[in-house]
Amino acid sequence: MKKTKKAIAAILALTMVMAGLTACNSSDKKESSSSASSASGSSSANMTNEERIVAAAKEGKVGNWGLGNEYEIQALLTKYGQSTDYLSQSFDMDGFDDDSITLASAMTYNELGLVVNDYEGGYGYGDKVGTIDMNDEGVAMLEDNIFCTKEFAEKNPNTVKAFISASLKGWQYACEHTDEAAQIVFEAGSSVSSDHQAYMAAEVAKVVTTDTKGGAVSDYGNMDEEAMQQTLDLAKQYIKLDDSSAADKLSSMTLDDVRDTSYWEAAKNGDFGTPEKTDVSIQLKWLPQCQFMGYYVAAAKGYYDEVGLNVNIVPGGGDIGETTAVNNGTVDFGVTWVSNLISADAGGMDLLEIAQVYQRSAIVLVYKK
Amino acid sequence: MKTYGTKLKKLTSAIYPIAFGVLIFIMWQTQLLHKLLNTDVYILPLPSRIAEIISDNSSKIMENVISTVEVAIPGLILGSVLGYLIAIIAALFKTYGSGGLTVISAFNAVPIVALAPVITNWTKDVSPEASVRSFAAKVIVVTIMCTASMSVNAYRGLTELKPFSEDLMKSYACGKGKTLLKLRLPNSVPYIFTALRVSVPSSVISTLVAEYFAEYITGVGRQIRENILTAQYATAWAYIVVACLIGIIMYILLILAESIFLKNRRQVLSIK
Repeated sequence: MKKTKKAIAAILALTMVMAGLTACNSSDKKESSSSASSASGSSSANMTNEERIVAAAKEGKVGNWGLGNEYEIQALLTKYGQSTDYLSQSFDMDGFDDDSITLASAMTYNELGLVVNDYEGGYGYGDKVGTIDMNDEGVAMLEDNIFCTKEFAEKNPNTVKAFISASLKGWQYACEHTDEAAQIVFEAGSSVSSDHQAYMAAEVAKVVTTDTKGGAVSDYGNMDEEAMQQTLDLAKQYIKLDDSSAADKLSSMTLDDVRDTSYWEAAKNGDFGTPEKTDVSIQLKWLPQCQFMGYYVAAAKGYYDEVGLNVNIVPGGGDIGETTAVNNGTVDFGVTWVSNLISADAGGMDLLEIAQVYQRSAIVLVYKK
Repeated sequence: MKTYGTKLKKLTSAIYPIAFGVLIFIMWQTQLLHKLLNTDVYILPLPSRIAEIISDNSSKIMENVISTVEVAIPGLILGSVLGYLIAIIAALFKTYGSGGLTVISAFNAVPIVALAPVITNWTKDVSPEASVRSFAAKVIVVTIMCTASMSVNAYRGLTELKPFSEDLMKSYACGKGKTLLKLRLPNSVPYIFTALRVSVPSSVISTLVAEYFAEYITGVGRQIRENILTAQYATAWAYIVVACLIGIIMYILLILAESIFLKNRRQVLSIK
């Protein structure tokens, strides 16, 4: 009697598990087929950018990572009269792959490469995807810069100038020799494969040497007045701060509050003395990858040694806030997006941009053709 | 005299923690705490400023609170019911039961930060509506986190009976079903509250973390992360305070419910 009861219980438990599993499975199939059909309905090959954006926004399928990366996408949605809501995109492109996001954010040098290319970790879409460029749409905001606190810059002007000079020399070499730069970064402790690193180096070089209008830039690190102003204007419009005093500070902010070109000018002319502080560190915005190849190349080629600096490159990633790290003195320099620096300063930090490495926006919206 | 003594004892036992809390609060507002912790008012804003932000944004904060509570409570209920059912099954089939529970309680050790993105990916096909599938993902995470504590505790309540009470039921010729209904279930009630004391706070915590990874952007947890990453510490603290309040209020409600349920129970037992 007892044994039969046990047997029945075991069978019961097993059937419950099986039922659970098959239920998930069947819903899986049903939904994926329906989403596939809706995707094919909305993405015909000859739609205009506007039609694509409007269609994806209406479906609620525009993706971005949020957390301070969303302002350009929101500006673009506003341009086409859509609400500024977007889906929170994870740091892989699975959401784009499975059609839960039809218009996904991608950095030209990173996520877009994973979508297009078929090397390790890539999705291999090739030319079956198209992109919408923020620069062409007129909503570009400048990204990776070099910054430090105002206090640090005032106390160590020669260190700042020397650091800018050597770093930009590294950037120039990296952009002119992208394969070698990719190899240097890969050896320095890369977070991605060497194939992807090489792709990234080539794409980053384009962003560093081309401005928002597509013109060539020869002055590495130049803080272009017009592009900076556009970044600040869009930041004022789309950075939403609940803290009223921070919001007030943001609305009255000018370019002079967030950047100082004098250090860069002096660095360009080689007009600086012995560094006040020789052991310095730079906090990257993300994991070690060619997004930051200039600093790795400058270190590997000995450019920092030439100006008398001993530089420690600190990788970022996850929830390490580069603005916070620089502001509290853990590191001396940092790489962040101009918009992030603006909101940090509005929130009460005292950060100063000293060079603008990326000359155009590298965000695109990618869609399946 | 004796009652006076116990009352005094109760009073002092409440006064000390409250006094400590007030002391911390005063140290915080007067920035003594900042000196002790070697931080500044930027990273740890003053309570007055936090309160100001909360009152300035009350309607937006309320929206986020509702969306968080909407996930925490269904998850808590689902997880607790599921956990209790598992406990009953385990108590009825003891030979497999205790082993099965060990497996279930292993779920308790799964970090929420690992579980949440997995569940988010897994529930992609639940609905084409992002708000719906994100809601489902978050509720599932909370459910899993709440199931284990309930099943382990309720199992103890269902099996750790008073000596001879099981034999007594047998001598009355009660079957398994009747023993469960008349002896095991009533015996497990205090254990349910023990489980809830763990899972109520954990339901709030797992909701906050699950919100980090959800596709649809809403909730107190997501706001904390957004504001910390955009260096808006004062606003982030406002949401942290609100998150604490949600947890504390839910816990107080639980304690109230417990005192009501267990009080009646004690009376019934003493009359018998």
